[in-house]
Amino acid sequence: MNRPLAKLAIVGTVGSLLLPSQTVAQLLPPTSRAARVEITKGPELEFARDDLAIIRWTSTSPGGDDEHFAVIHYGTDPKYLSQTARSHIRLNRGHAETMFRVRVEGLTPQTTYYYKVSSMGANGESDGVESPLNQFTTPAPGEQIVNYPQPK
Amino acid sequence: MRRYTSALVTAVLAALLGILGVPHAAVSDDPAPRPAPAYNPYPPGILPSDLDPEIARVQREVQFIFNEALNEWRALPLPTLSGSPPTLQGGGYEAVDILGKLMNFDQNMSPFRNEACGFCHMPYTGFSGPIPSVNLTMIAYPGTLGHRAGKRTAQRYTYSPDFPVLEYNTTQGIFFGGNFWDGRSTGYKLQSADAEQAQHPPVDTQEMGFPDTACIAFRLSTAVYRPLFELVWGADFDIRWPGNTAQICATPGGSARFGGGATPIRLSPKDRTKTNNIYDHWGQSISKYERSNRLSPFTSKFDAFLKGAYTLTADEMAGYNLFKGKANCNSCHLDGRSTALTPDQTDTGAASNTRPLFTCFGYANLGLPLNPSAALFYQTTPDRFGFTPNPYGFAYRDLGLGTFLRSGFGSGPNPNSQWVQFAPISDGQMQTSTVRNVAMTPPQCPTTEAPGPYFQKEFFHNGYAKSLKQLVHFYNTRDVFAFKVTSGHCPAGKTEKVECWPMPEVPNNIDMTFGNLGLTDQEEDQIVAFLQALTDGFDPDHPNVSTYPDINTFTGQCMTGGISATQGNETLIPTPPLPPCASAVRGVQPLPAPHPIP
Repeated sequence: MNRPLAKLAIVGTVGSLLLPSQTVAQLLPPTSRAARVEITKGPELEFARDDLAIIRWTSTSPGGDDEHFAVIHYGTDPKYLSQTARSHIRLNRGHAETMFRVRVEGLTPQTTYYYKVSSMGANGESDGVESPLNQFTTPAPGEQIVNYPQPK
Repeated sequence: MRRYTSALVTAVLAALLGILGVPHAAVSDDPAPRPAPAYNPYPPGILPSDLDPEIARVQREVQFIFNEALNEWRALPLPTLSGSPPTLQGGGYEAVDILGKLMNFDQNMSPFRNEACGFCHMPYTGFSGPIPSVNLTMIAYPGTLGHRAGKRTAQRYTYSPDFPVLEYNTTQGIFFGGNFWDGRSTGYKLQSADAEQAQHPPVDTQEMGFPDTACIAFRLSTAVYRPLFELVWGADFDIRWPGNTAQICATPGGSARFGGGATPIRLSPKDRTKTNNIYDHWGQSISKYERSNRLSPFTSKFDAFLKGAYTLTADEMAGYNLFKGKANCNSCHLDGRSTALTPDQTDTGAASNTRPLFTCFGYANLGLPLNPSAALFYQTTPDRFGFTPNPYGFAYRDLGLGTFLRSGFGSGPNPNSQWVQFAPISDGQMQTSTVRNVAMTPPQCPTTEAPGPYFQKEFFHNGYAKSLKQLVHFYNTRDVFAFKVTSGHCPAGKTEKVECWPMPEVPNNIDMTFGNLGLTDQEEDQIVAFLQALTDGFDPDHPNVSTYPDINTFTGQCMTGGISATQGNETLIPTPPLPPCASAVRGVQPLPAPHPIP
């Protein structure tokens, strides 16, 4: 084991020995926010079938609640994104970036949907970042679009 | 002297009760004969063919551990009560631990004297389900009355006392704590979710099945270890029991004769308070046993690694780096450390001020498919006591925390009306288990993974995954191989759990933190190797011998053959055409949203 890791391990162990036997709930303080919260990759279509799509994007850590939501506003009219979906995303306080993924259900086959994505904390407060307008098209029944297959 | 005097009184009492025909706690190596199956509504293939001999096996193992606990009690030096408040000086911890162990493995704590808590929670599986064939088929374990059973897997005891009292955290906007998959053991009264948890199975119609919590006090009053209970708690067993108490406690809960009441034993208010207090002490003692260094010792390879006493293997270390990096497992399964996303990144974070419990104590909807093998789906007709466990059949859906918040069918009463509003954002959510001991097996079956020799376990709340490989593969590829089918109906050429994941049982609140992690097959295997390094009982000086207490009590057979990726697939059954979700589930306010439960 390397030295820094050994030091870390010792600190961790000593720290745990000093804890009372009744473990306090692991309710850690809110994660720190990146100096500049911005989308660094995407959004893009990860997966689609005739009734479902998953959109993914990466942003610098928005901070705040560990419990976050990936949000998408979408519709078939690029000027009127009438529908909204959101998905639970758990921030990792050790990660400088967060991959957001949102699940959109109840779609129609072979239809083009326009969308913008954003994210928010558990209390509904926006992280202050929104993507430009984007689009995807659902495939025919029985088909799938898998843009991120499992690597070999 | 006091202990032996009490034991003599108890023996005399037991003899008198025997003359009167009132059952009393007997110490026997032979399991109590199980009543002839009164209830078998299952089609072929749901109940395993070896169920009866396996039940008998576990009963013998439970009795062995009970007898072992009796010997521990007899060898315990009598602790002295001293100080103010009075404290059992010296031997207090041991006394409570042994008492908890005795009660946990006492088969008299069920109407037919055939099922202890330990029946579903045995040491060699981290105190989870001990019957491989049940883990492969009916998922939930049979109760005191054969063959009633529940709907979910038996969770591990280890580290469960560390889950705090259930609370809604307004800063984080989610629930933390509680026990049970759906959080219904809040711990609000005893201020311990785990102590309250021990109070549920004894009166669960599908489990130990007493019709009245007072039955615990009744059976304890004639238990051979009653003196130990009185030593610890000073409980008052001077209770005027109605003449029909023995008969009531020998009848499983839910029986039509009880008319839906929860307190068929007509006790005076004063005596009811006594039995309630005894029941609280029951829960507290068992929780203390679970919290003890016997069960929750932090003695895994990972703990030794943190102390510098063990070097993780290449695969274990690679798995750990993935766990806290690309796989992002530690966003929910907190390891008390920070994260290194890329292989060349060094962990420079300060050690977190928590022990590595590998859970955030929270809840999540993993998007698991409905498992049609779960026993409860089939219990749609009344048994010989007039009780119908699940009149909804396959119209039942398990909304987990959401059901509990609504005090819904299949859960328990929610003691906090302010939480009801959060039900729609909690539907489908199940507790984030600690990862510790997920891989614990008996030494002779040293792994959970085929080809083995292996011990067959079940994973997730509904036992859908049958190997850790499948578990990790689900997290990795749930959204890569997503098909709009139910279990057992994957398209031709797509093997379920390999290239096909059926659709979620509950479409709302699906956690998208995972589902397409980009892990290779080898990386999945490395994560499995790391999970195996979280098994307690590792001694660096004797690495091949587990120190975990009672790890050697498994007397069954290991399994061999097959591969972990498709382990258990031979027991997959086609989900029948699902009726719409019962209104008793989907129609309770506040209604599930944004999608109704189909």
